[in-house]
Amino acid sequence: MAKPASSTATSRRKFLKYAAAGATAAISRPWPARADQKTITILHESSFIKPFDEYVTNTLAPAYEKETGIKVVYEVTSVGSLPTRISTIAETGSGADIAMNALLQIIQFGEKYLDVGDLAEEIGKAQGGWYDAGREAVQVNGQWKAIPFSNIGQLMNWRTDWFAEVGVKKFPDTWEELYEVGKKLKAKDHPFGFELGHGFGDNHGWLYPLLWSYGGAEVAADGKTVVIDSDETARAVDFCRKFFKDTMLDDVLGWTDVSNNKAWMAEQISCTNNAESILWFAKREFPEIGKVTDQAMNPAGPKGRFHLLNSISHSIFSFSPVREEARTFMHWLMQPKQLGGWYAVADSYYQPLLHGYDNAPMWNVEPRNIPYRDALANAHLPGWPAPASRQLAESVAKYIVVDMFAKACAGASTKDVIRNADAQLKEIYRSA
Amino acid sequence: MVTGHGRIEHIVRVWLPVAFFLVLALFPFYWMAITSIKPNAELYNKNVMPLIVRAPTLKHYVDLLTKSSFLLWTWNTMLVAAVATAISLVLGVMLAYPLARMRFAGAGLIAMTVAAIYLVPQPLLFIPLADVINRLGLGNTLTSVILTYPTMLVPFCAWLLLGYFKTVPKELEEAARIDGASRLQTMRQVFLPLCTPGFISAGIFAFTLSQNEFLYALIFLTKTTVRTVPVGVISELIRGDVFYWGQLMAGALLGSIPVALIYSFFVEHYVAGLTTGSVKG
Repeated sequence: MAKPASSTATSRRKFLKYAAAGATAAISRPWPARADQKTITILHESSFIKPFDEYVTNTLAPAYEKETGIKVVYEVTSVGSLPTRISTIAETGSGADIAMNALLQIIQFGEKYLDVGDLAEEIGKAQGGWYDAGREAVQVNGQWKAIPFSNIGQLMNWRTDWFAEVGVKKFPDTWEELYEVGKKLKAKDHPFGFELGHGFGDNHGWLYPLLWSYGGAEVAADGKTVVIDSDETARAVDFCRKFFKDTMLDDVLGWTDVSNNKAWMAEQISCTNNAESILWFAKREFPEIGKVTDQAMNPAGPKGRFHLLNSISHSIFSFSPVREEARTFMHWLMQPKQLGGWYAVADSYYQPLLHGYDNAPMWNVEPRNIPYRDALANAHLPGWPAPASRQLAESVAKYIVVDMFAKACAGASTKDVIRNADAQLKEIYRSA
Repeated sequence: MVTGHGRIEHIVRVWLPVAFFLVLALFPFYWMAITSIKPNAELYNKNVMPLIVRAPTLKHYVDLLTKSSFLLWTWNTMLVAAVATAISLVLGVMLAYPLARMRFAGAGLIAMTVAAIYLVPQPLLFIPLADVINRLGLGNTLTSVILTYPTMLVPFCAWLLLGYFKTVPKELEEAARIDGASRLQTMRQVFLPLCTPGFISAGIFAFTLSQNEFLYALIFLTKTTVRTVPVGVISELIRGDVFYWGQLMAGALLGSIPVALIYSFFVEHYVAGLTTGSVKG
């Protein structure tokens, strides 16, 4: 016999009521309580030097847990995925407690980070002081929004054997000298390859230093006045055009960061601007190429020699339930015993921003990396001389300076590309 | 008998287009396969013909299987895709059947809403969903993606099944109802068995979407042990500006095998129209 209709209706109603109540309870449940053992989670890019990541999981984290009882979880993600991950944590207020910042992420997420000025000053005082680049990398509106960790410098990578074929034993000192060598090498089918596409580092890595070395800049030191439209910028653009035309492969206009690494291993190019990854990978996978690969500081222009500051730093989220524990952990991590070991396993790919490491044994392992240390003296964030700002982050994200040079190389006039960049920058900096 | 002229015409009209599309479809797999078995020295050598392999090696496969957690990622991916697909199919049927067969106020609006929901891009949803997942304490569990994938799969399955359900003749259900079957019995014993090809199509697509999903998996699964293949290979085989091409291609190839097997296994059911002729006789 079928159940009375009313009974079924009641049952459905009850079911819906319970389901709604359950769902509401689940959604409105407070943050899940952590287990008794405290845990600090660090979000990091997966380093291209695997032992660097392994050193944290196999050495540092167990040591800290043994010492304090606090578990350290080291989460890695690709550098390209890092901003998405940090955005999610910042917006939801949940996830990792400490995040690694690369490029200009410190500006984008600075509001969500703790001011760690006292900690940073103490660490700096105890270990020889910070490089100016270290302060520039992490200070937002005068506050230390992260503890500087290192720079991942960009240098000139050059083939010593091919340069020797045209009589060059020492890397050229100026852009003009490099241009003359490049012409000869291209004629011998050993062109240069400098990224002019929309990658994340190797384009900015040489184009901003080129602009500065000719006296140009995006914005004045006040962080508001756009100054890209200048004779100095025009001279840099003119140089870049001829440098591209007479020394490089044509397809660099579409390159991203992986392209020059690949071209180097394929022996297609004789000179590029890159981080240490080319030499590191060549030594392991292509030893013959590794032997004839060297690194040098960027060439000087009429107004000096510059490098890009491509810093790595660690920030503590202000909403982290273990922020005090995270501060204590960062203090422990930045002590010479831990920090020195971590730097040492990375073959100086990460260049310390503390003067206390200027003569550390890590620099003796591969003398070809020493220019990375020396480059820190004149390394700056992309918008220099302006301080770091959201407008700067937007300008970099839109590749305004990169595109200014790239469009000139593709055939546009110097006047047009500068006018275009000027208009875009003024639009961005209107809100400054 | 096919004359010489007819044979040429047959080749031009049939085999040439087939060959063209075959090359188009299979070339990526061929490229993945040869890249995965090339030693690095050959992979980066600009002077060798890129379409052939001179000294094949299994090193990239060995490295992938022994130096990364690829097998674990594969297991995670299959588990997540299978469960999310099953949930989505059940919910999809529950949504599509009334829309296809019952008349009620707002049915058209609901059908349109289903389509509209499917069109909402993931980048708009991942932060609110991350908040919900965190509040439920499901971060870093496979349950997080098993529960969130249906948000995109249910509308997809429902929309696909809605179209399929409408092709099933109503007369079959009416006949069953006349014979005394309840609506539920009609649905379970008459209607749904006829829709097997629709379920297979929706299931295969849902499984493939789940298997390839990247954004939610990237956000919700941060530990190596719970990662799926797309996130695992990107996170651990792309290091800075160095791409481990051989291992990446080996991973992509191995990762595509399960779906290829499922497609080939069900292709007959997928293509066959089981309802054809069902009202005759």
